[in-house]
Amino acid sequence: MDEIEQTNVEQDAVLDVGYTDVPGTMLTDSNAIADFIKKTKIQDVLNWGRKNSLWFMVNAMGCCGVELLATGMAHYDTDRFGIIPRNSPRHADVMIISGYVTKKYLPALKRIWDQMPAPKWVICFGDCAISGGPFYESYSTYQNVDDVFPVDVFVPGCPPRCEALIQGFVELQKKIEAKKDKGTDY
Amino acid sequence: MDANSIISSLTGKFPEDICDANVESEIRTVAKVKPENVVEVCRYLKEDLSFGHLCCEFGVDYPDRNEIEVIYVIGSYEHPVILTMKAILPRDNPEVESVVPVYWNANWYERETYELFGVKYLNHPDLKPLVLPKEMLGEWPLRKDYKGFPNKTARNLV
Amino acid sequence: MDETVGPSEMIVHLGPQHPMMPGPFRLNAKLRGETVVDSEVEMGWIHKGIEKILESKTYLQGITIVDRICYLAAMTNEEAYVGCVEKLAGIEVPERAQYIRVIMEELSRLQSHLLGMGEYASFVGFVSMFMYTIRDREDVMSLIDSVTGARVTHSFLRYGGVKDDLPDGFKDDVKYVFGNLRKAIDNYEELYRTDAIYKARTKGIGVLTADVAKDLGVSGPPLRATGVAFDIRKDEPYLVYEDLDFKVCTQTDGDVFARIQVRLDEMRESMYIIEQCLDQIPSGPLFPEGTPYGKRSPVMRVPAGEVFHRVEDPRGEMGFYMVSDGSDKPYRVKVRGPVYPTLQTLPPLLKGVPVADIVAIAGSMDTCTSEVDR
Repeated sequence: MDEIEQTNVEQDAVLDVGYTDVPGTMLTDSNAIADFIKKTKIQDVLNWGRKNSLWFMVNAMGCCGVELLATGMAHYDTDRFGIIPRNSPRHADVMIISGYVTKKYLPALKRIWDQMPAPKWVICFGDCAISGGPFYESYSTYQNVDDVFPVDVFVPGCPPRCEALIQGFVELQKKIEAKKDKGTDY
Repeated sequence: MDANSIISSLTGKFPEDICDANVESEIRTVAKVKPENVVEVCRYLKEDLSFGHLCCEFGVDYPDRNEIEVIYVIGSYEHPVILTMKAILPRDNPEVESVVPVYWNANWYERETYELFGVKYLNHPDLKPLVLPKEMLGEWPLRKDYKGFPNKTARNLV
Repeated sequence: MDETVGPSEMIVHLGPQHPMMPGPFRLNAKLRGETVVDSEVEMGWIHKGIEKILESKTYLQGITIVDRICYLAAMTNEEAYVGCVEKLAGIEVPERAQYIRVIMEELSRLQSHLLGMGEYASFVGFVSMFMYTIRDREDVMSLIDSVTGARVTHSFLRYGGVKDDLPDGFKDDVKYVFGNLRKAIDNYEELYRTDAIYKARTKGIGVLTADVAKDLGVSGPPLRATGVAFDIRKDEPYLVYEDLDFKVCTQTDGDVFARIQVRLDEMRESMYIIEQCLDQIPSGPLFPEGTPYGKRSPVMRVPAGEVFHRVEDPRGEMGFYMVSDGSDKPYRVKVRGPVYPTLQTLPPLLKGVPVADIVAIAGSMDTCTSEVDR
């Protein structure tokens, strides 16, 4: 945990320098231009691009993880929606919480989430991620995951079928198109 | 080698350490062992009776009797007999010699029993928590009087 | 592992999120140059306390929980748990139900090996193989789905029998799927045997000898790849395995290549077992007649006692130790998973191998971390 705090501090320092050095200028690497674009029609075009390339991170954490693997592969072929499984969090747009989040795993999961580049979204896949599922009373699991991550879509089931995950992605695409998602800060 | 000859050989070799030895069926035998001599008994089992396969090792908590049983389930690759060996420890200060020098794969079983039951293994190569985060050490969650179960923190339940 | 780092040494943490297998675990490897000097496995990232939860569930509720111990072998987990209770309570399972159980468990083994083998191929850079095996696995999954109504966690077994009978036309479906699958497995084997890069990455890598494997407590395909014919289905037969004709598949090399070959052979044997079962299966009731056991099992009070029951899981020896005190809930349940000792063998196996072989060796064990953590 100490390492995480350290890296955050460094990032803040970098941001401060970027804003103050050049008065009156809009830097392309600052948030100002992104904030400006959010008020224009260009954002619709950007969202169209984002919603059609939702790469998700393969992080099999439970029974649902098996269905997660199967969804990304040949039979269900999510590539046709632009949804591609990626192994590294740095390549991914969507984090799928596919199982029980334990007290031991939660710090690591937060760190993985920090490593993902924005804009990024979370899908809670399966009952365990939503409410604890069959392990709701366990001494070791963390039940209220939506307190920690900005979850956009919940896919219920124990485990949900692959079709349900595809449906979840379609719902996420609809949310992004309507600018109602939590991943982008409007 | 059949169950009866195994039990008679074991009680013959360790008349003072083994008690309540019993043959339950053709392939299941039970015995109780004194905690001080677990390692010698295990070494004899492995080297002379070809019990080379430790199936599992775990604890059972009996708060009424104020005891914790450590159970060794030992099988073999050569014959189908399984020996269930119990070492009975006091609940206040459970300590037993580690069998890692004999059965290498007991390492994780003992670490797990340590963090879940609080059984202290003497001469274990690396006794530290395996499955629980370090903060939870000392709660012994699988003991019967553990207070944190059932957990009532889930908010989304109807 | 000793945390001190000498000159030109470094510690690399692999995981807990990593593409190596279904389920998180962490491997801390100390490297000197490109060679692993020492390593340590950290577990428990998805420890959910199943053993404690089982103590608070009635016997019927417990079936749902044990499904989720290892999600690739839900059927064999159930068999081990249900078998424990049946031994304690003295319930006789009718023959038809036993045959259905064998069929479902072998189908479960098929899908598990297909996933494990394909996933393994993707670790060594052979991703198209993963696509092929998942494609064929979906056919097996639809067979399982047609009987149990669920793909991963079935809750299909009941005390004294099974939940449902086989559907109409199941035999024809099996015949059709197995016709394709046999060709596919021959195809995989040819690909594995002829691909020079694959052979270079697997032959002679991660060698376990029989003595070492026994010493480390390994079971299942990693042990059988060393030439030890240890299989609970033969050594301690349960259900109707005694009446069925099958052989225990072994290899002698004990390396990564041999482990995959054992899985390929076992899939052929599984199909052979299922076909025999479908030919021999008698008609009859699914539950013992004249007893209260049925699809909706009554509140059971199991006689006090202790029992250890083990079955052959796709990954090795799966056992349950159950202590009953005569109430409607078990007093203590211990899950003895096959992967638990197998994953422990990684540090000695990885000593002195290059970094690139870590995934090849760890993947070939087909380890399911959910079962280690429970």
